Amino acid sequence: MKNYLALLFFFISFALLAQTTITGTVTAGKLPVAGANVYLEGTYDGASTDAAGRFSFTTTETGTQTLVVSSIGYDTHYEMGEVTYFQELNIVLQEAINSLSGVTLTAGSFEAGTESKAAALKPLDIVTTAGVAGDIGSALQTLPGTTTVSEDGRLFVRGGRAEETQVFIDGQRVFQPFMASTNNVPTRGRFSPFLFKGVSFSTGGYSAEYGQALSGVLLMNTTDLPDQEKTDISVMSVGAGLGHTEIWGNTSLSFNTSYINLSPYEALIPSTNGVRWNNPYESMAGEAVFRQKGERSMFKFYTGFNHANFDIDQEDINFEEYVNFRLKNNNLYLNANYKYFFENNWTVYAGASTAWDTNAITVVENDIETADTSLHLKLKASKEFSSRFKLNVGSEVFHTNYEEEFIANNGFDFIAGFDELLWSGFAEADVFFSNNFALKLGARTEYSNLIEAWNVAPRASLAYKTGQDSQLSLAYGNYYQNPLTQFINYDATLDYERTAHYILNYQYAKNGKTFRVEGYYKDYDNLVKYDTREPQFNSNFTNLGNGYAAGLDVFYRDNKSIKNLDYWLSYSYLNTERNFLDFTEQATPNFANAHNFSAVGKYWVNDWRSQIGMSYSYGSGRPYDNPNTPEFYAEKTKDYHNLSLNWAYLIDQQKILFFSVNNVLGTNNIGNYQYANTPNAEGVYNRRAISPAADSFFFVGFFWTISSDKKSNQLDNL
Amino acid sequence: MKKTILICLLVVTSMLSAQDKYTKGMQKALQLWGEGKITEASNLFERISMVEQDNWLPYYYNALVNTTASFGETDETKLKQKLEKAQEFIDVAKNISPDNAELLVLEALTNTAYIAFDGATYGMTLSGKVVQLYEKAAQLAPNNPRVVFSKAEWDMGSAKYFGKDTTPYCKDVERSLELFANFKPETEFYPNWGQDRAKEVLAQCNN
Repeated sequence: MKNYLALLFFFISFALLAQTTITGTVTAGKLPVAGANVYLEGTYDGASTDAAGRFSFTTTETGTQTLVVSSIGYDTHYEMGEVTYFQELNIVLQEAINSLSGVTLTAGSFEAGTESKAAALKPLDIVTTAGVAGDIGSALQTLPGTTTVSEDGRLFVRGGRAEETQVFIDGQRVFQPFMASTNNVPTRGRFSPFLFKGVSFSTGGYSAEYGQALSGVLLMNTTDLPDQEKTDISVMSVGAGLGHTEIWGNTSLSFNTSYINLSPYEALIPSTNGVRWNNPYESMAGEAVFRQKGERSMFKFYTGFNHANFDIDQEDINFEEYVNFRLKNNNLYLNANYKYFFENNWTVYAGASTAWDTNAITVVENDIETADTSLHLKLKASKEFSSRFKLNVGSEVFHTNYEEEFIANNGFDFIAGFDELLWSGFAEADVFFSNNFALKLGARTEYSNLIEAWNVAPRASLAYKTGQDSQLSLAYGNYYQNPLTQFINYDATLDYERTAHYILNYQYAKNGKTFRVEGYYKDYDNLVKYDTREPQFNSNFTNLGNGYAAGLDVFYRDNKSIKNLDYWLSYSYLNTERNFLDFTEQATPNFANAHNFSAVGKYWVNDWRSQIGMSYSYGSGRPYDNPNTPEFYAEKTKDYHNLSLNWAYLIDQQKILFFSVNNVLGTNNIGNYQYANTPNAEGVYNRRAISPAADSFFFVGFFWTISSDKKSNQLDNL
Repeated sequence: MKKTILICLLVVTSMLSAQDKYTKGMQKALQLWGEGKITEASNLFERISMVEQDNWLPYYYNALVNTTASFGETDETKLKQKLEKAQEFIDVAKNISPDNAELLVLEALTNTAYIAFDGATYGMTLSGKVVQLYEKAAQLAPNNPRVVFSKAEWDMGSAKYFGKDTTPYCKDVERSLELFANFKPETEFYPNWGQDRAKEVLAQCNN
């Protein structure tokens, strides 16, 4: 019996110690994979593959086991089977789809942020670029695809009007992204850049998720979780600001308030170009972001309130006296969104944004009161079926209620307005055939209760990697947009305006150098026309307008070749004509000039603890119509030049002194001419030049950050 | 009786060999790392961590191997692959062992690797995070030599960037050397690096 037991134990130990050798080769494509980790799941037994992709190891395990083969850059491979059969295995790995080195669907878009390799601008650039002064819109104007319309301040993309570009925060529409202003007083964006972690600016060919934009979309994302608690104080030549961030575990709140008053500045350096400020621009603004991160969810709430008022007298060729314009604007914007990540790779997003915007305007004792209430609801679901296939479907509702009352000083009273409900649905799929070839295919449909018609817009883009650091992309899409408020206000029978985009893009990025060139063609149709000089209640409106835009955008950025110097160059060529509004024939509109060039440079001087920035922009002459000649829009203004400088000096790590001068040379840039409505005694239409209210602008600011680490500063906010 | 002894012996032996396997595995992996066989070391740590799922150390070492290997990497794609892998393992380790100052120091180091690669791109976005990690680590383990030394080295780096005097941080390095000398690892394979580097940095201080 004893012997029998001993024998049994002997066999058991023998069985335990019996070793099987597992061998094989790991390849991908035809090439061996070196350094892959090959092992039996749940055991220490394994090995790394050698340069020839070969592996060999012994194991004492028996029976059915799972062999795991993993290597960075490839999908992990699992092989189940009897250990004894794991001999001379031939394992072929599939390359993992890699968002870092793989092909990206980027035609038409520029990104600012560190997340994407398509990033053309860094978050800092919005604030450290000379002449930009923290305005996201101005920073984007240093990129190709925009035209310089300096007396306006908004984004004019590839031959499109400013209204053809829509702005989104965290996927929700922003209804009034720019401050209320008037003719020839340049506006700014309403947002302070430091509440946002990334900006993606698309000048064409964008995704089916975004609609009601004929030319471009600007997508801004608020920061997820701030790193630290801090207080920011700023004292500027034009006002003051206060910001604070508070963190409680996974919950945080940031707010930023500012008071701007241009009175002291105007008293010191009055604006001279045909304006007299009775009450210079004054604004009170507050913004807040609340975020809460759960185990598998993220909730964000953004709100912004802005009150602005001013009183200005402006020169007008049709009047002897200056024309008075007074404005009071209130804007409240709320944006909430919630994202939940399910275990099965589904992500659900629900968002809502709403805006209340009121204007009280007085133009030479005529009163105009407007009230705009807008709402955007969005529900979206996306699923990553694998790293090769992603699906994104959603539905949106937009509601706009607009009322306008015009009370003339002679007692004439006119009330107009509309109430619109727009529904839309979209679906889009991303297919990665390999790391070198990807396709995005989608469609969007919309129904407006005002237009009472459906539209269907297909979108597609293709990307192919031509080399280690370069890729070629193609994009096509149809885009629809409702007629502008001021048209649909008077005639609700108008149809959607439409464009089609065709884009070809080549991009090369290596070692801090980025080069991209993009050619495009845009076909406009269904544009609104009317038969009076200005759109008014008795105009006859039609959708018979059309046009085209073709051009080439070139961008080059280099931050490595010269130490401490970062620079970029942009050039855009635009050829566009359209027949719209009150045009009598097809012509190039005033906001579209043929050549735009900008150069931006930043140099860090370590010994001076200073960053010195320079930017130069050039725009060729803009077309205008001279009624003294029979030709339509045949003349051009002189070329546009603007050289801006800035200097940020770090007093210490948390205190910064900042100086900037916009248009150092004081070039008097002319954007257009206003001609008299009627000719003078000699039969000639008189004119006056239209320029920004002031040629140059000076800015001095002191920025102080108080944080526990004593290190952060607002260099990234300037 | 004999049978019982035999069974006991067998059980003990098998337990011993199980523990032995971990010790042997870790020793082997550390040896591979010492020989500069980064991939092999990382792979072995990964295999160990897949078995020892309640032990933060194999995860810690795998992340450490990948982080240290990424300093000096010039290819951004490879750099990100290594650092993302490191961060993944740190996240798992933090779940196993929350409020562990060693892991926070390692996470700070992983983020520093990005900044070292491209300060203009990653500096402003990640330096706040690094500072916060060191602060939290200092709260949890104010007398851990790696916490004291790594924080001092980081502070010196940022002072240098802003053209400031770095000498105030030298006394922190000195203090860390005292702490290194008296440091007793809590368990086998507990992190025990940094002393040599601290000596090098102090030598620069005294120049």
